[in-house]
Formats: sequence, structure tokens, C-alpha cells
Amino acid sequence: MLLDLLPEERIATKVKAENWREVGRKVGEILLRDNLVEDRYIDAMIKSLEDNGPYIVMAKGVAIFHARPEDGVKKTGMSLITLDAPVEFGHESNDPVKVAFAFGSINNEQHVEAMSQLMTVLMEDESIDKIYAKDTSSEVFDYISQIISNN
Amino acid sequence: MRILAVCGMGLGSSLMLRMGVEKVLKAEGIEGTVEVSDVSSAKGEKADIIVAAPEIAEQLEGHSAKVVAIKNMADKNEIKEKIMEYIS
Repeated sequence: MLLDLLPEERIATKVKAENWREVGRKVGEILLRDNLVEDRYIDAMIKSLEDNGPYIVMAKGVAIFHARPEDGVKKTGMSLITLDAPVEFGHESNDPVKVAFAFGSINNEQHVEAMSQLMTVLMEDESIDKIYAKDTSSEVFDYISQIISNN
Repeated sequence: MRILAVCGMGLGSSLMLRMGVEKVLKAEGIEGTVEVSDVSSAKGEKADIIVAAPEIAEQLEGHSAKVVAIKNMADKNEIKEKIMEYIS
């Protein structure tokens, strides 16, 4: 479930980042801090965007960073940052990014349910702008919990 | 109807797309299965429709399936309009 993988401690608000690489680094560092991934996983997340283009900006204003289980995942988990100022990723229609997620999964199954709940959150009207407008991680966490319990 | 949701690794945006497409199929009362795949495996798979981000869709040009590029994966209307073009 999404909130088991994304506890309040792995949410940070008003994070300063100059460019998309820094966004990836900062959201990935939360996974590293909690010992969910190895440092090389963050490099792999960034490289994935270099290789495949900015399609990780999956919806308006939101980027979802990840790499493969074999790129250094120790335990399945997710992190979320809201940005101090929006950052351009070079996406043709979903820029600029205001909110970024990162996840690592130890296999192709463990995060599936959480991703489905995350999709519910993204499909909620204006949810990204509302998350972006929150001041604290507990407000973001409570808002996401609320969407999930309403669906 | 077999729909394939494809992304670079088969475990991120493809999952999101699968959910969006499933919602549309359900709402429209269309029978179909939606499976996920990574872009290199997808090249060898058979499907009626492939949904993917634009950058991924480009890599699948020439596939026997209809390839549909979705820009905003959280936008049910975009998914609906684009896949309904091929379903009737």
C-alpha cells in the first residue's frame, strides 16, 4: 500500500533544486538515507531519464523517478518532495515539475498496489497543485491519506 | 482485445497507464486485458493496441499493433479519446 511505502518521514516540502538532475538526486537521497537503496541507484534513476527522455514526467507537474530492482534496491520504498520552485524537465506538455516521487522496488510485483494508489492520487482533480501548496510533510501525508480513503 | 502498456523498464509508467486504461475500458463497458511490458520485450509481443509515453511510442513505430502515445497519464479523457479511436 502506498502509505506503507511512503511514510511521513520520507516526504519533504519546499526542497530547493536548480535542475532536473538535482531533483532526482534530492528525492533519491531520502531512499538512500533510509537504507532502501545503494547510492548507485540514484545515478541509475538519472541515467534512465537521459536514455529514455523526460517521460517520467508522467502527468502535469509530476515526475516519478525510478530504476530497476538490480540497480541497487535493498528494500521496497518510496519518497516524495515538493519543490521550492518548479523545475523544467524538457517535457513537451507536462512541465514544469512541482512534485517529484522516487521509488525502488525489489521486484516487479511488490510496488504494484502502491502504484495503483499513486495513480488514484494523480487522477484526483488538481491534486498536484494541492500537494505543492502544502507547507509541511504531515499536511502532504494527511492529504494523500484522505484521497486514498475516499476512493 | 489485448492492450499492452509499455514503458522503458516495465515497472513504472506502464503500471500507471495500465490502471488508466483499465478504468476507461470499465467505464465504456469494453472487454479486454491490459498487460505491462518493457519497451524491448514489447517489440516481440502481439497486441491490438499499445499505449505508451510519446518517447516510448516512437521506439515502437512499425509494430503490428496500433501504437497510441499518451502525454498525461493521469488524464482519463486523453486516454479515452485516444484509445476509443481504435475501438468500435
